[in-house]
Amino acid sequence: MNSSWLQSGKGLSVEALKRLGAVFYPRSIAVLGVTQTPGTVPHDIFSNILMSGYTGRLYPVAPGKSYIEGIKAYRYVLDIPDAIDLAVVVFPANVCDRALAQCAEKGVKAAIIISAGFREVGPAGVERERKLKDICAEHGIALVGPNCLGVINTDPAVAMNASFARKMPAEGRIAFLSQSGALCTAVLDYARDKEIGFSKFVSFGNKAGVTEMDLIHYLHADPRTDVIMLYLEELRDGRGLIEAARKVASGPRGKPILAIKSGRTPQGAHAAASHTGSLAGQDAICDAVFRQAGIIRVNSIDEMFNSGILLAYQPMPAGNRLAIVTNAGGPGVMATDSAVSAGLEIPGFEPATTATLKAALPATANLANPVDVIGDARAERYSSALQAVLADPNVDEALVILTPQSMTDIEQIAHGIVEVQRHARKPIAASFMGATDVAPGVHILQAARIPHYILPEWACRAMADVQRVRELKQRIEPPFEPLPVDRDEAAAVIDAAPDGFMPEDQALAVLKAYGLPVPRYELCADAGRAVEFAEQIGYPVTVRMVCPQIIHKTEVNAVVLNLRDADAVRRAFDQTADRVARALPGAEVLGAVVRRMIPAGHEVILGAKRDAVFGATLMFGLGGIFVGIFRDVTFALAPISLTTAAAMVRQVRAYRLLAGARGAQRADIEGVEQCLVRLGQLVSDFPRIAELDINPLIVGAAPDGCNVADVRIRLERSDEQE
Amino acid sequence: MNKSELREKVVRVVCDVLSVEPDMVADESNFVFDLGAESTQSVELVAGFEEAFGIEMDNESALAVQTVGEAVDFVGKYVKD
Repeated sequence: MNSSWLQSGKGLSVEALKRLGAVFYPRSIAVLGVTQTPGTVPHDIFSNILMSGYTGRLYPVAPGKSYIEGIKAYRYVLDIPDAIDLAVVVFPANVCDRALAQCAEKGVKAAIIISAGFREVGPAGVERERKLKDICAEHGIALVGPNCLGVINTDPAVAMNASFARKMPAEGRIAFLSQSGALCTAVLDYARDKEIGFSKFVSFGNKAGVTEMDLIHYLHADPRTDVIMLYLEELRDGRGLIEAARKVASGPRGKPILAIKSGRTPQGAHAAASHTGSLAGQDAICDAVFRQAGIIRVNSIDEMFNSGILLAYQPMPAGNRLAIVTNAGGPGVMATDSAVSAGLEIPGFEPATTATLKAALPATANLANPVDVIGDARAERYSSALQAVLADPNVDEALVILTPQSMTDIEQIAHGIVEVQRHARKPIAASFMGATDVAPGVHILQAARIPHYILPEWACRAMADVQRVRELKQRIEPPFEPLPVDRDEAAAVIDAAPDGFMPEDQALAVLKAYGLPVPRYELCADAGRAVEFAEQIGYPVTVRMVCPQIIHKTEVNAVVLNLRDADAVRRAFDQTADRVARALPGAEVLGAVVRRMIPAGHEVILGAKRDAVFGATLMFGLGGIFVGIFRDVTFALAPISLTTAAAMVRQVRAYRLLAGARGAQRADIEGVEQCLVRLGQLVSDFPRIAELDINPLIVGAAPDGCNVADVRIRLERSDEQE
Repeated sequence: MNKSELREKVVRVVCDVLSVEPDMVADESNFVFDLGAESTQSVELVAGFEEAFGIEMDNESALAVQTVGEAVDFVGKYVKD
């Protein structure tokens, strides 16, 4: 796994903060490899820093040139008489290591390598990038890039556009971090059109040094940033990102993180032999663990900015109760549907509010929420209605919808909203529906930082994201506390087992050592012993043939349930042994596991998988034979606390069954949560467990309602463990 | 043409094309890192060598040459005694 330059997950040390500070607040910058040809990256980067009004000292390093843009040029960075905080390297890839080595000798604190031609081009580039990493590691240089667009800091204290984006964006409270450089320029252009500003703008490219985790930590402490936006193409250290995000996004001082993680195509599922393996494609895990860590995952740039501007520009609402003011009934109803679907409430108003609305609006107006001010509404009517609903104690936020009609004074209405906003402590969003006619009004709203959405549904979705952030700010997740388990007993079984699927009796022994509810069982070598053991534990019993070559036992029909006497057990043993021998000639039959029949209950699946990016991952969902059809599952990174286990159980639709839908008895949910915690502990303790399925765990009424009915464990020694 | 004359001629082309002083040029000088060649000037250098020595070189191999010393050796392969 890729480890962060700054030891992400542990926060930033003072020294690391200083080094990363040199990326954003350098007192001096040297641009290495500047050329004299406008329109080329090596020229424009220098020119952009100069033209952005950078407040520090700027030096071009351009061998053979006396001056660049009227500024004295130096042959080497070592020739510059001043100390240099930040080097921006635009040399071709094959000489970047020499440039960086000279920077190290010069004592440069941070470097941005813009140049492409590294890891992204194949083995030769990988080697070039390794050299850069080595130099930075040895000298403690904070390296951004290579293969990136650069860094922008709009803080007037530094005013730095060290990028090849044409224009410096406006100041704002949003930090944008992107792995893709090309996307950055598109986003800057988009944001300019929407009058959205940024605090920091970073294209981190191949992340050979500074990673997204380091940047998130840095921005958490940045007083000019309120919202962090992240575009990721490749997750190398998923666990590191999750740990960083957990720290940054949660709690009263948490900052929202909105992320696009592109590449939703499932990978690796086809090769997985277990249910967990096939259900746990990396994107599904990514979705769940992002949510768990407090990262709000969005699917598009539009969606990201829709939520981002509301978070950055408006106060945090105290709750989820939305008032809608509209001049059009249809859009008001659609907005109500969207709001309710997104988890917002459309509250009723206090009598005083209704009285105020009645006095201000015509008789035909709808005074209930959504308030319809009627098609001919002008600015005064809008302002009165908006003021009234915002003053209502049942309302936490407001959405103003406008459709352009011949008498609609769009600009005056926009000014009115801005005026109301000036005195309001509750968030306001607007949707002036249309394009050309409403454009002047939209401009007035955007300039006043009132979030505007082309469609009311977009506003509702953004408001739902804000609710999620509000919940995160209140979240204090207790740390994982290990439960008492017999680790040595599990280790004795696992260490002695070869790679591959463990025989069922061994898998059950491992679960038992970790306190999972395994009914009494025995691996019986022959039918005689099977009958003896069945007599001991009492009927009914199950007989399950144990054979390392069988993964899904029902497919080979190696399981017989509900056996009620000795004859039935003997017959079942002989018949299943015969069936296995016929289905898998030459297979090694170790005997049959005999155990007491588990009483009927809800069937859930508990799974675990060692993921290449996220490490040990847990899965929970509706189990049994329908698991692959309904895919009603959720994921979390192991180990987990009881709080996270409870959240997992409640995330799946099957929870309603467990909770006692339609008058049924409530199942042993606490028992399931305990099982999840213990399973998380098991797979964290034993990295050799590559996949594990408990399918089903049969859940009856509390207490002690859980029983493991079937388990599969696949062991695999990874390279890291050797 | 001996190696010393050949080197002198190569250095002259380098100085002309890149507008640098001869005292900046050493055998180990990298055209980009030490002498500030821009990407288009690499092509001009190849053309300059071909014209100065009356030769025609394999362009792909020529553009892979990175230092003055390598250029002397490379051009030398094309120049008849």
